[in-house]
Amino acid sequence: MILTWLGRSFLYVSFAGALGGILFQLRALRTSKPSHAKVFAALALLGVLGAVGVMQYALVTHDFALAYVAENNATFTPLLYSITGMWSALEGSLLLWSLLLAAITLGVLLYYRREATDAVVGWAAVVLFGVGAFFTALMMFPADPFLANPAHVLQGQGPNALLQDNPLVAAHPPLLYLGFVGFTVPFAFAIAMLVTGRVHERWPLEQRRWTVLAWGALSVGIILGAWWSYQVLGWGGFWGWDPVENAALLPWLTGTAYIHSVIVQDRRGLFRVWNLSLAIATFALTVLGTFFTRSGVLESVHSFSSSTLGPLLIGLFFFTVALGVGLLAWRGDALRSAVGVDQPLSREGLFVANNILFVGFAVVVLLGTVFPLLYEAVNGTQVTVGTPYFATIAAPLSVALLALMAIAPLVSWRSASATVLWNRLRPIAWASVALVALLVLVGVRHRAVLVAVFFAAAAAGAALRTLGGVVVAARRRGRLLGALRAPSTGGMVVHLGIVVLAVGIVVSTSYTQRSEVTLASGQSTVVDSQLVSFAGFHVVKDPLETATQLVVSVDGNALRPAVTTFNGRATTVGTPAIDSNLLRDVYVTFDAVGGNGTTSGAQVQNNLPAGSVVLGVTVEPLLAWLWIGGLLVGVGAGVSFLRRRYVEDRPS
Amino acid sequence: MRRTVLLSSLAVLALVVAFSVFLGTRQPVTDATDVTSPLLGRVAPAFAGTELDGTHWSLRHDRGHVVVVNFWASWCGPCQVEAPNLSTFAWQERHAGVDVIGVVFNDTLSAANAFAAHYGSLYPSILDPGGAIANRYGVESPPTTFVINAQGRVVVTLVGAVRLSQLESVLRRVRA
Repeated sequence: MILTWLGRSFLYVSFAGALGGILFQLRALRTSKPSHAKVFAALALLGVLGAVGVMQYALVTHDFALAYVAENNATFTPLLYSITGMWSALEGSLLLWSLLLAAITLGVLLYYRREATDAVVGWAAVVLFGVGAFFTALMMFPADPFLANPAHVLQGQGPNALLQDNPLVAAHPPLLYLGFVGFTVPFAFAIAMLVTGRVHERWPLEQRRWTVLAWGALSVGIILGAWWSYQVLGWGGFWGWDPVENAALLPWLTGTAYIHSVIVQDRRGLFRVWNLSLAIATFALTVLGTFFTRSGVLESVHSFSSSTLGPLLIGLFFFTVALGVGLLAWRGDALRSAVGVDQPLSREGLFVANNILFVGFAVVVLLGTVFPLLYEAVNGTQVTVGTPYFATIAAPLSVALLALMAIAPLVSWRSASATVLWNRLRPIAWASVALVALLVLVGVRHRAVLVAVFFAAAAAGAALRTLGGVVVAARRRGRLLGALRAPSTGGMVVHLGIVVLAVGIVVSTSYTQRSEVTLASGQSTVVDSQLVSFAGFHVVKDPLETATQLVVSVDGNALRPAVTTFNGRATTVGTPAIDSNLLRDVYVTFDAVGGNGTTSGAQVQNNLPAGSVVLGVTVEPLLAWLWIGGLLVGVGAGVSFLRRRYVEDRPS
Repeated sequence: MRRTVLLSSLAVLALVVAFSVFLGTRQPVTDATDVTSPLLGRVAPAFAGTELDGTHWSLRHDRGHVVVVNFWASWCGPCQVEAPNLSTFAWQERHAGVDVIGVVFNDTLSAANAFAAHYGSLYPSILDPGGAIANRYGVESPPTTFVINAQGRVVVTLVGAVRLSQLESVLRRVRA
C-alpha cells in the first residue's frame, strides 16, 4: 500500500514539474520574465527518479504488494532480471521512457542555459515538457505501474520467459528507447523554429550531435535486438519484418535521411522545409511505432503487452502530424530557399537521391506493416505481409544505397566534373571488380552476393579514401589524433560498419545450410563439413528453471543446446547453442528426443529409438560480421557525437 | 504558391486524419473468426500427402476421429502465434480421438521444417505442392483451420490464429 502511494506521489510530482514547466515557460515567452524551466525540468526528473526508485525497490525486494511486480517478478528471479523487469511490460516501460525523456529535457535546458531566454529554446522546452507530461499522464491514468495487488502472492510469475533468458534484455530495450526518446529533441526544435518563424537559423545543425546520439542508440538497439532474437528464437534468423521490428526501423530510416539532409542545409542552405518535415515525421513515427507495439492491433512475436493505450497514442500521433503540417503550411512562404540544387551530379544532388531512397524505403515498410489492417477492414480476415514482400523491395534499395555510399563521398558540392569523379573512383572501381572476379574464380556464383560485394567494396573504398584524406590532413597539421574529431570521421566509420553489416547479411542468408540430424548418444555425423557429435544429456535444475541440455560438440568445441522450462511460467524456451567464428556460425538446436524421454519440455518423437535426439544444425557463413558491423556503426556514431564543433556552430 | 502550400497541406492533413481514425478504431487481435465457408456441413474433401519427415498421410485413415486441419506457413505471423496452441491441443487430445494435421501452405520444405522444429510441433504436417489441397478447401491465406467431425463433415472453419480455449470449445461443440 505504501509503495502504491509513494510511487503515485512521485508521478504526480513529475507531472506537476512538466505542467509547471509548460505554464511558466509560456508566460516567460509572453512577458520575457525568467521561466525557471531548468527548475521544473529538475523537478520532473526527480519525480520520475523517485518513481523508478520505488519500482526498482519493489522489484529487487520482490514486493508483491504491487500488481506489476507480482506479474513480472518472482521470489526466485535473479537480480539482473529483477532490475530489467521494469521494462518487461507496458507500465514499467513507460517509467523508463519518462525517465529518459525527463533526463534529456533537463540536459537540453542545461546545454542551452546561455540561450535560455531565446524564444526557440523556450518553445522547444514547451514541446519537451508537453511530451513528458503526456507520457507521465499515461501512467497516472490508464497504465498505472503502481496499481496495488489485492491478492496475497507468495511466489509471483517472473518475467515473460523470453525476457529472462538473455542478458541482452538489459541493453536492447533501453537503447531502443533512448533512440526513440532522443528524436523528441529535433522534433521540439523543429516545432519551435516554425512557431517563432525563425526557420533560417542553424538550430538543426546545432542539434545534429544530439540527433546522431539518438540515431546511434537506435541503430545499436536494433542490432542488439537482432542479435538477441538470433540467440534465442531458434531458427538462426535475426530479422523477420515483424510489425514491432518495423516499428523501430521506420524512425531509423527517416532519422537516417534526416542526419544526411541536415548536412546539405549546413553547406548550401537548402532543404529547410524538408528537414523540418523529416524531424517531425521521425518523431511521429516513433509514436506510431509505440502504437503498433502497445495497442495489440497487429499480430506480432513481440506480444509482450497489449493495452488500452492505442487510441491515446494514435491521438498523439495525429496531433503531432497535424501540428507539423499546420505549422509548415503557415510558414510555407518563409521557408522557400532562394537557390536550388544546381546540378544532379553534385554532393547535394546525391543527398537528394539518398533521401528519396530512405523515405521511399520507409513508405514501403509502413505500407507493408499497415496492409494487414487494411486487408482486414475490407475482407474481414487478417493476413500477414511476409518476408517476400519486404525482401523484394529491401534488396534493390539496399544495393542502390550502397552504390550511393560508393559515389557520394567522392563528389564535390555544387557541381562535380565527371572526369574528376572518375579519377577518384577508378582505383576503387577496379579494386571492386578485381575482388568480384576473385570471388567468381574461387567458385562463388550467387548473383546477389556478387552484386552486393561489388557495391559494398566500392562503398568501403570511398569511405576509406575519405578517412585517408582526413588522416593525411591531420598529420600535416601535426595532430594525428585530431583526425578522430574531424567532421566526416564518424560518418565514414558508420559507412564502413554498414558495409560490413550488408556483406554479413547477404552472405549469411544466401549460403545458409539447414539440416536436421538424428544422433544416438556417442554418435557423430558431418554436416556441411562440420563434425557434429552428441555425447549425452545433462539436466540442470535450479530454483529458477529446469533445463535439459545436450552435450554436443561441433569441430571439437563443446556446445549445450537446451530446452528450458521456467518455474512459474508454462512456456518452454528452446535455447540454441552457437559455435561462432569469423568464417561461419554453426547454430545447433535441440529439436526432439526419441522414445519416452523424461526430459522436460523437449518434443518427443516415438518413432525414434529412446535416448537419441534430433538436432537442428544450421551453418551460416560470415554471420559474426553482422555484429562486428553493428559495433562499427555504434563506434562511428560515438565518434560523430564527439566530433569537433564548428566554430560557428552556436547560433549567435 | 500560398495556394499550393495550403492545398497540399490540407491533402496531407486529410490523409493523416483518415489514417489516424482508421488505426484508432482497430480492435486488438483476438481469436480466429468463425467464418461461413461453402464447405460447412459437407463431407470434407479427401486429401493425402507426404509428411515433413517423408511418411505418407491420408485423411481417409482418420475416419471416426475428429480431425483438425490447419493450413499454415512459416512466413505467416499469426501461424507463429497459434503454433504452440495447436501443439498443446494435439497433445491434450491425443488419446481422445482427435487428430491434428497441418498442411503447409505455399512454403519451402526447409522453411517448414525449421518452423515445425522451432515451435516443437506435436502434430504431423503434410506438404501441399502446387496448393492442390488448399484449392480444394478454398484457403486464401494461412492460418485457416477446419474442424471435421467423426462423420467426416466440415463443421467449423476458423480464419486467423486459433487459441487453445477456442479449440476446446469448438471440440465440445463438435462432440455435443
